Formats: sequence, structure tokens, C-alpha cells
Amino acid sequence: MAECIEQSRVACALGGIYTALAIDGVLPVTHTGPGCLAQAADILGRVNGGQAPVPFEESVIPCTDFCNTDVVFGGGEHLRTVIEKTIEYYDAKLIIAVDGCTAEIVGDDIEEVAESFEGSRIPVISAKLPGFVGNNLFGHSQILKSIVNQYLEPTGEVNPLQVNVFGIVPFYDTFWQGTLEKLEELLKAIGLEPNIIYGHGHGIENVKKIPSAGFNLVLSPWIDLDIAKLLEQKFKTPYLQFDNVPIGPTETTKFIRKLVEYAGLDQVRAESYIKKSEDRYYYYISRHQAFVYACKYIPKDFYFIGSASAAVSVTRFMVNDVGSVPLRIYITDNVPKDRQEDVRKSLYDVELEEKDYEVIFTEDGGLAAADLRKEHEDRSVVFGSNWDLLTARSIGSAFVPVCAPYGQTLIGSKNYFGYEGGVALFSDYYGEIATNPQVAFIG
Amino acid sequence: MAVNLNLQTSESRETRLGSITGYHGSLKEMATQGCQGCLKNCKRDFSTGCSCSHSHCLDQLAGLEGAVIIDHSPVGCSAGLIGYNRSLNNKFYESKNADQNCNLKIFSTNIREQDTVFGASEKLRNTIQFAYDRHHPKHMYVVASCVSAIIGEDAYSIAEEMSEELGVPIGYASSEGINSKIWASGFDAYCHSVSKALLKEPKEKKDQVTYVGFYPKGRDHIEWMFERFGFKMLFLTGGSNLDDFARASESKAVFGQCGAQSSYLCGALEQRFGVKYFQSHLPYGGIGVERFLREFGAYFGKEDIAEEIIKEEKETYAFRLAKVKKKLAGKKVFIALGASFAYEYTRMCKELGMEVIHTVAYHYDPHLDNETPDKVAAATDVYELDQDVATSVNDGQNMETMITLKHNKPDIVISRAHKASAWAVRNGITALEVRIGLPMVGYRGLVEFGELVIKTLANTNFERKFGARFKVPFTEAYLNSEPFSFMKEAQNG
Repeated sequence: MAECIEQSRVACALGGIYTALAIDGVLPVTHTGPGCLAQAADILGRVNGGQAPVPFEESVIPCTDFCNTDVVFGGGEHLRTVIEKTIEYYDAKLIIAVDGCTAEIVGDDIEEVAESFEGSRIPVISAKLPGFVGNNLFGHSQILKSIVNQYLEPTGEVNPLQVNVFGIVPFYDTFWQGTLEKLEELLKAIGLEPNIIYGHGHGIENVKKIPSAGFNLVLSPWIDLDIAKLLEQKFKTPYLQFDNVPIGPTETTKFIRKLVEYAGLDQVRAESYIKKSEDRYYYYISRHQAFVYACKYIPKDFYFIGSASAAVSVTRFMVNDVGSVPLRIYITDNVPKDRQEDVRKSLYDVELEEKDYEVIFTEDGGLAAADLRKEHEDRSVVFGSNWDLLTARSIGSAFVPVCAPYGQTLIGSKNYFGYEGGVALFSDYYGEIATNPQVAFIG
Repeated sequence: MAVNLNLQTSESRETRLGSITGYHGSLKEMATQGCQGCLKNCKRDFSTGCSCSHSHCLDQLAGLEGAVIIDHSPVGCSAGLIGYNRSLNNKFYESKNADQNCNLKIFSTNIREQDTVFGASEKLRNTIQFAYDRHHPKHMYVVASCVSAIIGEDAYSIAEEMSEELGVPIGYASSEGINSKIWASGFDAYCHSVSKALLKEPKEKKDQVTYVGFYPKGRDHIEWMFERFGFKMLFLTGGSNLDDFARASESKAVFGQCGAQSSYLCGALEQRFGVKYFQSHLPYGGIGVERFLREFGAYFGKEDIAEEIIKEEKETYAFRLAKVKKKLAGKKVFIALGASFAYEYTRMCKELGMEVIHTVAYHYDPHLDNETPDKVAAATDVYELDQDVATSVNDGQNMETMITLKHNKPDIVISRAHKASAWAVRNGITALEVRIGLPMVGYRGLVEFGELVIKTLANTNFERKFGARFKVPFTEAYLNSEPFSFMKEAQNG
């Protein structure tokens, strides 16, 4: 398989700073070229639902604007000066000095620079983010590891009901903010005390509380398992993995029951919540049946092209609740070799008798387009990113964006989480089919 | 300042033109120093990120019909190119480009850690071969990156070798972000590459004028004027096809959207094929179009036609212009735009009777790539119109722009693309993202712009309420700092 990449659906490791930027009060200082962040900003922000970090939007993120003189003379002192000024000018709670490819090759010691700020008004830690080592998921892990290893301190207490939430990568998961809000509501509804570090209303105080959790919840097929293990090792916090962000009634109900069992929660309360939520889901779905079954072609299969996390969520919902069959699944975000088997297992763990679809791991997003140009099912559906829109159109397929780069539209608080998220995806799915004349028209 | 097409790639703007990204003072001083060759650049002890030349070389090359681009870089250096994909804006370009419904074709060689030690030449060769096999392109371009440059890759030679092997032209553009603080240097790398690869000797000279810019949008503002002179227009913009590039040398005249994006290609056309490059008077607004048409008319001995067009254009918009001027008189404007349009809008705002209290330019070119000693447009305004304005130059340094804004308190911020507007609105100040290029031509462009300013100022409830809720994430030390305190002593080069 080719090592080169066409149609990249990931940013480089520097994209990991979006994880820092999602935590209110955390400010990265980038020791990189002037345009490195702009590349990540387009694929994780602007063309990914029109998102930008709050309050530190990309255009005010301190950067050394690494240049030729830094290559020749080293950029360490340059970085030190920029951090000094950052401490003077920014109302941040934690600074993370990060570097990129050029500073790594030149050998600037950002760890030494960060450590030299010990005792300063704002704590300074560091994370190495060279793009030639990994993509934004590697960067995400680097940022979280830096926070855990260089910033977190034991709290000396454990709250058995407190659950830290991991596995959702801010910004890269286009729906992260809306998902976390709805997830927080659900966890509270079944009796837990969620501690979410990212997004609105959360922040550095939630980060400090991480060590006092009763357990860590990891909502993904492989992302953040390294962080959960690190926290287990450091603070003896156990973790529970659920291999996807649940969409729709089957998966959400399974998720709730798993939590109830694991954390010993009130079963009656949980079952009553499930009943109410499932009833509501099917009420909404029922409202649309007359529209769905009205002289329309209804595709019964789909292609998926994108992140491993979105692949598992979408595949479970489409197979278990909507009644469709995967044709081929392309995972484009460089899942480490030793994790691929787990992801594969998750993707075949569905309510289906014949599972003869292929799962392909490739960083080359262009592979899917090339394959589909050669052969494809007619009138199918492509789930993917904005790179797949024109491909889907060219093969007469419907298209539903579900992962980065999502497209140049405003994501607002939209998400596909839980029961209500199932209604939203069901509606977007049939809405797209109905308005796509290449697919819906049966004459 | 001639371009040198014998080089492997273009030189940076700093080296070639003496362009700068750090200055504060007055336009008059800056332009005079620029013309006298003694303009100095200020460096900063605090900076934020913005944009790099690499990406602007890629985004221009990728739009070419039938092209495949090889980014010789780690994953990520071209990740943002989705922002230029035709899935987002294929209606935008009024395109003749046959690929208009296809994704851009960009490959990253995916340089990894071990490649930084052992080299990535094989990887580049393999990627070129792989990309060729997948798409069978008409032409390819290899673009070098910071990493490939630092590890000493000879991508130029590999591109040449592979071109011979595959029998397909493979252009080369070296556009490393670390080489220039000015992202427009990336436009130059693109222009250099296509000037070598796509321009052809003219079969004949025609009464044709070439326009170099982002889009042909707004052509109806100016096409009729050239028709009066008996000239047809040819567009080298996003959406153009290869035939357009092949025919560009047949033109007798060329002009560009602005000095930043267009100068190098216009300069190359002038130098290689004697196409007259008009760049001292850009045709924007009323004053702009009058001077442009007179210069154009005089060059081709058609002064009378120029006067005819000016008279007609002026009369058509006189009533609306008077109305606009009445409403906008004395409104305070703060401008933050690219090197050319910063000062084009300064002149246009003044033409509408507004008061320009400060202009930020994202860089400044004391010279452009024309063969003649003609001044750049901003300097021409200083010498011909006695134009002046308090000004500063920063490469999208929004922390500097924001504090300058705070000290100036305008009624409206006029900006585009680099987030100054978003920060203005957060601070409760009305902002307008403005058009550049052909939609700004003439009295029509001027009047339409003025009317938009009036509409924008008619209801400022959103920015007033939103601004009041804005929690400033900066310290008192920053908020009370003097504008330009980041700048250190000016240096040569």
C-alpha cells in the first residue's frame, strides 16, 4: 500500500492543540512556522462546521513564526521571549509550549524552555508535536499526556459517582461540543456526576478534578485508552470503555445499561429513562414514515470513509436501527497497527447475519475515490467528509457528512448523540435521499 | 524589478522586492522611503501565527485544470487545502476548467521521522509515480516544504528526472514557510512555476488584455470598457483552463487584481513577451478607474475613447454617488487589508468622504515586478494625490491590530480574510468583509461599496449586544499597552 496520502482527512500532530484549546483557560504557544496552524485550522475548524476555539481563536495564538534565522541560530530563546510576553498579555490558566517539525529537526529544547518558567504567574508545560511523527490524534494524545504528567496532582479523595469523559476528540469529532452537552445531561439523568473538561461551562477546574473520579469513561474504539491507562497507573482510577459514541435507541440503551451495571446505579430509574427515551424516538420516527415510503427508492447499503470513531457509531446505527448494510468501510485516520484488530471487531459487532463487507485501513483518503470510480453499487449512500461529496455525486450516491472535514457549514450545537441524535441522523439521512434525484426517483 | 525565470524557483519578496512586514508611521513616509530604497523592516518580540507562503503556492497550483500536486512534506502541510476544494465553491469561479466537478488532486509524500534522517527522495519518486498511475494527469507540480528544505532534499532534480521518465511535464515550486514572512511569496512561487510551464510563445499579438487574479467575478464592471477600446479580456484566475494560459502572451496588455497575487505573473508576461503591465494605477473606485483608463488609452493612442468611457461611467453613477457621500461624510474607518487593497480602500473611503483613521497593510512592497520604473500604486497615490494616512504593516498580527483598533475607535472596520473583522465585532465594533478585484472597478464599484457600508451601519444591534457580552481573554497589561509596542528597532533586510 502506498505511503503517500491523497485527500488528507487529518491534520498533522499540531492539530492536537485543538484539544488544549477546547479546555477553557488553556493556551498553547506554538514554536512553528507562521502557517502551520492555519492548515490544521482549515481541516479541523473552518471547513469542519465553521468552528473556532473560544476564547483563544487561532488568530491570537502566540507563535514564534519559526523562520530561517531560527534554523541557523536555534529558536529556543525566541520561544522563551514569546512565552514571557504571553504570560504578560494573556489571561490564561495554563500555557502549553508546543513545537512542530522544524524546531524538532533543529533540536530546540522546548522542555527546558517550559521548565525555566517554574513559579511563573501562569504554569507552563510542554508537548512535542512534530507532524512527521504523527497526525492530530497523536497530537491529541501528546497534549493529554503532557497535562496528566506535567500538571495534574493527586486530589487525595475519590468521588465514586464522578466520571471523567474521554474518547471524544474535540474539533476533530465535528459534533464534539453538542455531543458532550447531551452526554452530560444523560449521565446526570442516570445518577452519575460527569466531569467533562472540554467546551462551554467546563475548563481547567474540571482538569484539576480528574484524579478524584470514581472511574474514567472512554467512548471510542481506541482513542484515549492510553490516557485511561496512564490515569489508572498514576491515580489508580479504573476505566470503562464503550467502543463508540452511541447513536439511536439500540446503542444508547446498551450504553446506559452497561453504565448502570458497571457503576451500580439505580436500575429502575435508568430503565424508566430508557423507556421514555425510546418511546420518544419511535414517536418521531413514526411521524416520518409516510414521507419515507412514498414512491422513493430507499438505499439498503452504504459506504463509509473517515475516522474510526465515526465509523463505529454510524455503522452500529445504520445496521442496528435503520436497517442498512455496509458495502465497504475505509478508516482513514492511521489507527495504530496494534489497535486495528479492535476497531475491526467493533465494526463487525452488529446485528447482521451476513457480514461480508470489507474494512480497509489507509491514510490515503484518495483510495476510496479511486476504488469507487472503478466499481460501485448504484444508488447507494456515502458517509464521510467533505472530500467525499463530489465522489458521491459522481457515482450517483447520496451523501451524508459525519466527520472532519465536515464541510463549510455552521455546525451550531448539532450532534447525533443518543436517542435524539438518532432522530437527527435518521432525518438528515432520509432528507438527503429524498432531495437527491439521482437516488430517490423511481419513476 | 525583473523576475528571474532562470532560477529554479522565485526569490522571496523580502529578497526580490525589499518588502516588509513591520512598520508604523505614515503612508507618505513609508512610500517615500520605499521609492528611495531606504525602507527598513521592524521585527517583533511578540507574534502570533497567521498564514504561510507554502499553502498559497499550493492553493493556486491545485486549481489548475488537469493538474496533480505533490506536496513533499509531512502529513498536514497541505491538510488545509480542503478549504479550496471544488466541493465548497465550484460555482464561484465561472469556470471553463474541465475539472470543475472533481476534487483537487493533492498528494502528500508523508515525510516521516526516519525520512528526516535518511532522506525522502525515494518517497518523492514513488509518490510521483503513484499519483501519475492513479490520475494520468496532463501536468504535475512538486512543491517543497520547510521539512524537505531543511533536510536538504533535491526535489527539483527528482521532478526533472521523473518528468523525463513519465513523459509528462512536472513543474517545481519551492515555497517553504520558513523562507518568507510574506505569504504572498507563495503566489510568486506559483506564478514562477506556471510562467515556466504553461506560458507559450504568441502566434500573433491581439487586441487582448489579460487579467490576473483570484476570480473573474465582477468582469461586467470592466469588460465593456475594454470592448470600447476594441479589446477582449482573457482571465488567468481560479477556474481558467490551460488554453487561457497558452494564449496569455498574445495580449498587448496585462493588469492584476493586486500587487500581492498578480505581480509576478504580470511581470513575467511583460518580460518574456513584451505584454505591457499596467500596475501604477489600479482601476478601483472613481479616481482609480479614471487614471487607469487614461493611462491605458494614452498607451494605445485612444485617449478620446478613455474620456468617453469616463464621462459615461461618471454620469451613470453620479446621482447614487452623491447620495452615498452625503450619508457617509465624516464616518471614521479603520482598514486592515493586503498590501494593495489596504491603500486602494484608503483612497476609495476618502473618495466617499469618510475619514480613514488608520490603515493596516499585511505587508508592503516598495516595488513590484514591472520592467518600468513606474511606482507601486500606493506610492503613486502619495506622489499624485498627496495621499496620506496613519498606517502600520503587520503580517496578520491580530494582537497588534486589535490594540491599534482600541486606540482609534472607528465607526466601522473594513477588512477581509485574516480575522480582524471577527475581533472587531467581538469588541463591539461594526465590521465589513469587503470585495477585492474586479467588483471594485469604477464608480460602480465605489457606489456599491458605499451603499453596503450604509446598510452595514444601519443596524448595529448585533455587534453592540455581542460586544457587551465579550469576556476579554487578555490582561490589563495588554489592554493598556501602546500600539506597536511589539516592534523592535528597524533593520535593513
